[in-house]
Amino acid sequence: MSTLIQANGLSKQYGAKLALDQVSFEVKKGAPVALVGPNGAGKTTLFSLLCGYIMPTSGSLSIVGHRPGASALFGKLSALPQDAQLDPRFSIAHQLTFYGQLQGLTTKQSQSEALRVLELVGLAEVAKQRSDDLSHGMRKRVTIGQALIGKPEIVMLDEATAGLDPIHAREVRELVSNLSEEATFILSSHDLTELERLCGQVLHLDKGKITEHQANSNIEQTQHHMTILFAENYPNIEQSIQSLAAVNRVYMSQAKEYVVEYQKTASLFDIELLKYCHQQGWRYRQLVNGHTLENQIFTQEKI
Amino acid sequence: MTQLNPKRLLNITLFELTRLFLTKRGLLAVAAFTICWLLILRYPVGQAVSTMSSPELAAVAQHIFGVIGLSKLLMWPEAELAMYWLIALYSFPIFCLFLCSDQIVGDRQRGTLRFLSLRATRTEILFGRFLGQVLILAILITITLVATVATLAFRESSLLLSGLNRSLVLFFYLVVTVLPFIALMTFLNTIARSSRLTVIMAILFFAVGNIVVSLMSWQLPIFAILNYIFPGVQLEQVAGQNADLFSSIGIPLLQTVVLLVAAQRIFSRSSL
Repeated sequence: MSTLIQANGLSKQYGAKLALDQVSFEVKKGAPVALVGPNGAGKTTLFSLLCGYIMPTSGSLSIVGHRPGASALFGKLSALPQDAQLDPRFSIAHQLTFYGQLQGLTTKQSQSEALRVLELVGLAEVAKQRSDDLSHGMRKRVTIGQALIGKPEIVMLDEATAGLDPIHAREVRELVSNLSEEATFILSSHDLTELERLCGQVLHLDKGKITEHQANSNIEQTQHHMTILFAENYPNIEQSIQSLAAVNRVYMSQAKEYVVEYQKTASLFDIELLKYCHQQGWRYRQLVNGHTLENQIFTQEKI
Repeated sequence: MTQLNPKRLLNITLFELTRLFLTKRGLLAVAAFTICWLLILRYPVGQAVSTMSSPELAAVAQHIFGVIGLSKLLMWPEAELAMYWLIALYSFPIFCLFLCSDQIVGDRQRGTLRFLSLRATRTEILFGRFLGQVLILAILITITLVATVATLAFRESSLLLSGLNRSLVLFFYLVVTVLPFIALMTFLNTIARSSRLTVIMAILFFAVGNIVVSLMSWQLPIFAILNYIFPGVQLEQVAGQNADLFSSIGIPLLQTVVLLVAAQRIFSRSSL
């Protein structure tokens, strides 16, 4: 897999505040990459650096061999920056066509490209309207559409589903999933379940540092853990499951959710665990092979 | 970020035209401009001949024009163009301070520049917007000139050819004159936070700046050279057609280049 983004010792200082502190990571072509972290962790700063909106205080950043903001990246890298809006004085189609032209498409190609991306986000009918005439969610989807003009290689979406209703948030997730063969998406979101569904690699930022940098589907790490979420609270779950032969350890990760650590040699442990739950009359809601992303990030210190 | 791709530059420049002629705000500005110029063409320009050549006013006009260095204008057979020249030379620079007040500042506040900067270099965006404003001003100057020549031809059709020739020269000088004013607004757009603020900064620059330079040059005459930082410093001489080539073309072009280079330097380093 070819490297798309390479960051080395990247720092960004705003006055006395260190927004990013010696961040190094690599993004390869492929499955979507998640960028997670609490508010003020430096996610938007990292997005802005990747897009070339701001300059790093120190460190180096290379995107397919070019510095951020280089003209070689026009049409290859696109983004949905947080809170950025289209010009309310022009129709949406007019602006998207203009963006297509800047990316090197002819007027005709740009016009059909504008309609194509609007159809992708389910908003072809608003092409002639101005962004002020649209709801917040529709504006967001239009700006997601602009990030898809010209089929870029890297698409960065900062809080793409924030403020969208559940149906449209799901549509955006499906869109990302469908297009992830053509482009590498970098997504920032507070919805960890959403990122867990979509992403293979997780970059966890906290207080300006990357503290997580691992693949979600890392077999070595996940093959001897199960996370089970029950429909309700049952008494003595931990002690009961602990009595199973292959189980090393059981602990509660969140309300009604338990992590079961078992011996690697145990075969068909998931079947055994579910049978046991059935025998006990416990109704389960979800079984995750490994740790949930949320637990990986926020409760790993307990493990 | 300093790269200039001609196609992208042209796209950005032409997009500015749609901003003026296809948006409500732009059309309102054009409507206000048209009404002002209809009044100007109807009264000062339309009655230029009778004003300048009436026996009662001729002596007074000649005296006043002579004192303020405009006597050459009285010799033009195309009196309408002489009046047009005086009005346009002072009104277009003022008009462009308002017309060009929002080149990038609005898009920057809204975040629209973030979409653009992934598709064009900052230099292309800045210079494209500047050239777009120049094109708009050139179109507006052309329209007013054509209307003035039409007024002239309506009075005396034999003056049509000489009027067209003279209006070509006037067009060139007017465009050169407004260049540094547009560039000043381009520069202020890179440092201000709103279009209103760019207008206020421009007014303060001319008002306070002139006072400061006057005081400084009163103390030490060498500071009079600082007057050259103000766009339009040559207007008085140019109005009477008394300026040399350097004053009428060299100074505004130099000011434009300096302001654009400064704007480019600031914009390419600023955060979006």
